[in-house]
Amino acid sequence: MANRRQVGVRGTPGDASGMQLDIVIVGLGHQDTTVDIREQLAFAGNGALEAGLRRFATLPGVEEAAIVSTCNRVEIVVCSGEPERAGDSIEGALAEHRGVARQTFAPHLYRLRGREAVRHLFRVASSLDSMIVGEPQILGQLKDSYAASAAAGASGTVLHRCFHSAFAVAKRVRRETAIARKAVSIASAAVELGRSIFDTLDGRSAMVIGAGEMSTLTARHLLANGVRSLLVTNRTFERAVELARECGGTPVPFDQFSRYLHLADLVVGGAGDGDGSHLLTHAMVQQALRSRKQAPMFLIDLAVPRSFAPEINGLDNVYLYDVDDLHQVADTNREERGREAEKAERIVVQAVDRFWRWLEELDVVPVIVALRQKIEAIRTRELARAGATLGSLSSEQRQAVDYLTGAIVNKILHEPVTRLRRRTAGADSHFVRMVCDLFGLEDHGRSDDTEE
Amino acid sequence: MDLNLLRLAILAYLVSTATCALDLLAPRPGLRWLGLNALRVGAALHACSIAARFFAAGHFPITSFSDSLSVLAFLIVGAFLCLQMRWPIGSLAVVIGPLAFMGTLGAHAFHRGQATMPAHLQSALLPVHVMLAVLGNTLFSLAFAVSLAYLVQERRLKAKRVAGRMHLPALETLDQLNHRFLTWGLSLFTLAIVSGIVWAHLVWGRFWSSEPRLMWAMVTWVVYAIVFQGRVMVGMRGRRAAALTIVGFATLVCSLIGVNFFTPGRHGGTFG
Repeated sequence: MANRRQVGVRGTPGDASGMQLDIVIVGLGHQDTTVDIREQLAFAGNGALEAGLRRFATLPGVEEAAIVSTCNRVEIVVCSGEPERAGDSIEGALAEHRGVARQTFAPHLYRLRGREAVRHLFRVASSLDSMIVGEPQILGQLKDSYAASAAAGASGTVLHRCFHSAFAVAKRVRRETAIARKAVSIASAAVELGRSIFDTLDGRSAMVIGAGEMSTLTARHLLANGVRSLLVTNRTFERAVELARECGGTPVPFDQFSRYLHLADLVVGGAGDGDGSHLLTHAMVQQALRSRKQAPMFLIDLAVPRSFAPEINGLDNVYLYDVDDLHQVADTNREERGREAEKAERIVVQAVDRFWRWLEELDVVPVIVALRQKIEAIRTRELARAGATLGSLSSEQRQAVDYLTGAIVNKILHEPVTRLRRRTAGADSHFVRMVCDLFGLEDHGRSDDTEE
Repeated sequence: MDLNLLRLAILAYLVSTATCALDLLAPRPGLRWLGLNALRVGAALHACSIAARFFAAGHFPITSFSDSLSVLAFLIVGAFLCLQMRWPIGSLAVVIGPLAFMGTLGAHAFHRGQATMPAHLQSALLPVHVMLAVLGNTLFSLAFAVSLAYLVQERRLKAKRVAGRMHLPALETLDQLNHRFLTWGLSLFTLAIVSGIVWAHLVWGRFWSSEPRLMWAMVTWVVYAIVFQGRVMVGMRGRRAAALTIVGFATLVCSLIGVNFFTPGRHGGTFG
């Protein structure tokens, strides 16, 4: 609640800065970074995310903040009255917070603001910006990002509206275009690759190391495509048991999984430890291959930071793919989906327009509220003052007077409020400021500010 | 007649080779279609050529070096055209085309009209010996093509450039095909060697002569035997098996062409 008020107040045109609220996104995505850069910046785990949110939400110029950290992108989404300043401070804080030298990632960083930023967020939600266009996981990840931000008290009215619009757009895109139907998720890309190694997945066995969301999804997909048996291992054994029961697999104790590795044709790596050490090492795979008489193995590392040692790919008859590598597979299918994507882009643009109108209007909302409050205060004060002379009236008559004055106030306010709303579609802040001047509303805003 | 048909077949194989090579450099859907169909036309002409020779000679034309090379080339193309209906190996036309072209060109160069064979060599064992060798070589050639495809596909998967335009079968399919071709090829090749030894014993009273051709054949046999043994005993497969198969094919080509070109011997059709 405090946030909501803060936003309104700072967004008031009468505010010292006199700036409009804007959406700013600073981040880096899979298009122009490699997984090693992203894994350095990733906010892995709830602790890191919460600390990050606290840091970013309190930066100068930032009103609200959310962190979108998936294996394909790290983005800081903020609502700000001073977009330039906010962007600068986020860049600085990002380097400082993750303890990474700024120059390692600065060239890859993008900074979006205004409609571009909103459009970007909507495209991300609709999976138009995904490595594999149309893959459905990103929406869930975005929902988690917003939930984390809301839980940490870092988001308010604007981001709430922004993210929920993004979710709605994503649903509409999924419903109205074939993008999702045609789409290849990361999981189905894994199946596709598996088929260029094994021909068919029928009767194969797979192992899941680290039961994360992505690895669970992938495991389900593999099972749906013919994989016969599934071994599941996880640091917390209960989770492994749970997933094994869900999918009809067999749980394996985490400290012994390498003993069963040779049984798996496909190995899926989910969440890693996050400390940079690799769950699956070169030696383990070498040993497994020996037991398998060099029968090929397909390793899919979905974790960021990576949980399988990259040098494993140097072994014969082993094919190791990390999330970045799946990018290549995604490119193949991109062309086919061009037309559907265009349709989806149009839906996104419409939604951006709608959201932007709302945001611009939001600027006057506090003014309108302040105006109403001021007039309402006058009305109640005058009613109270007249209380003595009105004392002889019956309660019924008293109610009628109350109603009458209320109606007069509403009638008088109706026209200016409507015009104010309509006017702001053109973002005429001059006009809004005049209204504030005319009714002396600046004082109202400032007094609220000092209360904070 | 048969020579003219052979020339037309050579031309068709050349067209196939050129279009497939072009398709590899600047892919266009039409090129691939043309390459495969030129191969089909070539095979049809080639079959007519062999048939014409059969009617002219009155027996299956296989006993001369030229004839056996021609039959070998035809069998490679024929087997490939059949196999590509079952497995997605159509893009291997780029390997098969040149093989067929070189084979028929060699057959044409060594064409000597009707071979006159010394009476003491005429035996039912000769066509059997040659046919076994030709069939073995056909399978080795197919194993070579499949191994090349394996190496390409393996490199793509390792380098993570799967989005290639050449559609190739799965690695395991290629590896299994390689194994099958090799097993059958090695069996037939072994029988060819045995029949050769028996025949030599009958005719010359010796089991072995130190002809370079025979030495090369033994080297080829040893290389393929290593691949086979390695796979069965120590699980050698994949890239290594494919690479060794290609080495084996290289020795095979040496024994077939190099030796016949430069060293006179009984196998050059001179029957000294």
